[in-house]
Amino acid sequence: MRNGKAVAKNGGKRTLKLMIVDDSNIMRRRIERSQRFEQLELVGTAGNGLEALELFKKTDPDVVTMDITMPQMDGIECIARLVAMKPAVRILVVSALADKATAVEAMERGANGFLNKPFTDRQLNEAIAELMR
Amino acid sequence: MTRAAGTARRRQLVTAAGLGTVLTVVMGAVLVMGFRLATNMRAGIGALQAASTLQTYPEEISRQLSTLRDRLEVRAYSGQALADLQGTVSRFDQKLNQLAGSHAADSPQLGRPLLLWHQYAPVLDPVVSFTGQPYVDSDTAGSSLSREGRAHYAAVKRAQLFASDSAGPLQAQLAALSATLQRSSSDAAARLRTLLLAGVLAALSLAGAAGYFQLTRSKHERAALEAQEQTRDILKTVREGLFLLDSEHHIGTVWSDALTRMFSRQDFAGLSFERLLKDLVPPATLTTATKYIKLLWGDRAHENLMKSINPLGQLEVKIDNGHGGRETRYLQFDFHRVMGQDGVKHVLCAVGDITSSVLLAHELEESQENASAQVDMMLGLLHVDPLQLVSFLDTADSSLKLVNTILKEPARTDAEFRKKLGGLFRELHGIKGEAQALNLKSIAGRVHTLEDMVSECKKKPELSGSDFLPMVLKLDELLAHLRSVREMAARLTALKDTAPGAAAMAAAAGAAAASGADAPGRSQPRVVEDLSPTLLAMAKRLAADNSKRFRLTLGGLADVPPSYAATIKDCIIQMLRNAAVHGIEPPEARRANTKQDIGLVSVHFRKNGDGYELVFEDDGAGIAAETLKAAAVRKQLISEQEAAEMDTRAAMALIFRPGFSTCEDVSMDAGRGVGMDIVARSVYALGGKIGVTTHPGRFTRFKIVLPAGRAASSAVA
Repeated sequence: MRNGKAVAKNGGKRTLKLMIVDDSNIMRRRIERSQRFEQLELVGTAGNGLEALELFKKTDPDVVTMDITMPQMDGIECIARLVAMKPAVRILVVSALADKATAVEAMERGANGFLNKPFTDRQLNEAIAELMR
Repeated sequence: MTRAAGTARRRQLVTAAGLGTVLTVVMGAVLVMGFRLATNMRAGIGALQAASTLQTYPEEISRQLSTLRDRLEVRAYSGQALADLQGTVSRFDQKLNQLAGSHAADSPQLGRPLLLWHQYAPVLDPVVSFTGQPYVDSDTAGSSLSREGRAHYAAVKRAQLFASDSAGPLQAQLAALSATLQRSSSDAAARLRTLLLAGVLAALSLAGAAGYFQLTRSKHERAALEAQEQTRDILKTVREGLFLLDSEHHIGTVWSDALTRMFSRQDFAGLSFERLLKDLVPPATLTTATKYIKLLWGDRAHENLMKSINPLGQLEVKIDNGHGGRETRYLQFDFHRVMGQDGVKHVLCAVGDITSSVLLAHELEESQENASAQVDMMLGLLHVDPLQLVSFLDTADSSLKLVNTILKEPARTDAEFRKKLGGLFRELHGIKGEAQALNLKSIAGRVHTLEDMVSECKKKPELSGSDFLPMVLKLDELLAHLRSVREMAARLTALKDTAPGAAAMAAAAGAAAASGADAPGRSQPRVVEDLSPTLLAMAKRLAADNSKRFRLTLGGLADVPPSYAATIKDCIIQMLRNAAVHGIEPPEARRANTKQDIGLVSVHFRKNGDGYELVFEDDGAGIAAETLKAAAVRKQLISEQEAAEMDTRAAMALIFRPGFSTCEDVSMDAGRGVGMDIVARSVYALGGKIGVTTHPGRFTRFKIVLPAGRAASSAVA
């Protein structure tokens, strides 16, 4: 498990805790570096669904970015578990699967947004902004 | 109609109802008041009449009193005068009392005459109540007043005295009363007039208001009708299938005509979305679609996100075409939420038929593939020796002409049809082999397709002329393709001509033309081409395609006489193919049999006595007589009994029978059941012989012997 260091806190707005779930290290770092929301504080990253559940229990994030295809437990199942634990959690699915059925399935399980890989920084930030609205 | 217009209309209706009520109440009040006023007036007029009549009574009473007194004084009969007075007084009293009890009682003017009459009446009372005999008659004094009569006379005189004082005032008071009554009566009349005027005004306003509202209502109705008609026109004309879904995912009562055409049905009202798609799409798609529709009702995902994950953006559906068949269409579903006050009210669904654009995209893809295939073909042609190519194209042309002839041959019976199929098969198989040898994939692929069609036909229990039609079309396409290959080859040759070394090429082409005996080019190639490169290339390809390893050695092919060249080539190609597919074992199998990994295939052509001899040998698995027999039985070429009785030699001869093949998989190279029969047929046609020697596990050797005599004459391959 990789616990990220806290990002500078924002004085005015409430700080939201962010968790990044993706089996690719590069992708985790990419999301972490590219997101430009001061009120988002990275509390940790996970490489599969099981790790994500563990980390979620410990850190109680408000916003999650979720890959779909991952070893051990895939994103679809993980979404359902996270939502069961905390219905108010906001989940952005970040996936290379262009399959619409997967997207619909993820939304049905409780995801709040969908972003196709590959994505630009702008697309990522727009998707997160939409998520937190 | 918009919601704002609806609200405005409701407000107008409420206003109309309010105004109508107020005006009706006003009218009602006017009528009630008018009625009461009229009733009062009637009473007032009665009182006025009574008062007017009463005015004359005081004077009358005075007069009658005088008459009565006169009568009493002259001792005349006074009964009549008294009776008159009694009547008058009684009527006056009665009428005055009536007046007092009536509407006029309120008038202060009535009090005074009443008061005066109340004083007057007691005075008159003794007079009118007299009932006795006023006179006594005596013979001496004649008639004289009796005692009663005197009292009566005194009463009359008293009354007359009172009357002289009071009759005038009473009359004046009654006159004043009637004047008052007249005034109030005319006042009432004026009030009634005003009231009536108000009533008429109210009625007019009511009528005006009613007219106005009727007008606006009909205007609204017209607008609504027009809107309805416009909606109908839109739904009739729009090319998308439009409909609304309710929260239960049921289709509403209105939809566009295009929807009917797209789905070839009309019963959409109340139909659930799931039912609409149920028979048209696979179950997995249906499940996703249903989940998606459910998500549309939630507020988690905004419109753009929902649009991006729409699983029905390009849906392939199989729809009844109305003639019993099903046709594939591509539909595009777009969903838009229709918001109400409490969130999503409906979902508007727009279905577009994008079949033509999808097919166009497919066509584009295909043509791009074709284009790249052409480039591949061109590059492939670059590797082929131009002389070989020309030779192949000529051979292919004449073979295909033969195919065409076979196709046109009249046939009636099933046997004739099957004979046609057999002929087609052999010709096509030959062309395919040559095309493969030159690695002309585009041609080989097309011939293979045509061959497939022939095989399919063979499987049919009954054949008719129409079964051959698709083949004719395919043959046309193949011929067109050959033409384009020829054009391309010509262009390539032209290109090569300008390149260095063109001189050598031109010389070769010149030599080719020179050695052609008759018409230049196509019909009969007379060029003795060098077979070696073609065969070596083919061997390499066959080895790769069949995952085999073998080396091909060639000898004496330069000595093949021109008239035998085509046949020899066909035969070698066919046998090489058989060796690669059936003969040479995979390297593992060879190793297991203590053979070298790399197999050996040798082809030798030499002059032998008067004629020629071609020996084709491979060191492969050999041919087992039992395997051949079993395959022949399976293919019903021979019966089991025949198989049992067959000796090895006869069994070996099976491989030259038409329709025989031991390989079950049909590939480009083998398995069709033709091949060796073509070889045998061509050899026999040249007056030659063919034989086979084999040792299972060791080798297979084909030996073809051709006569010398034929070599000189022209032979058709």
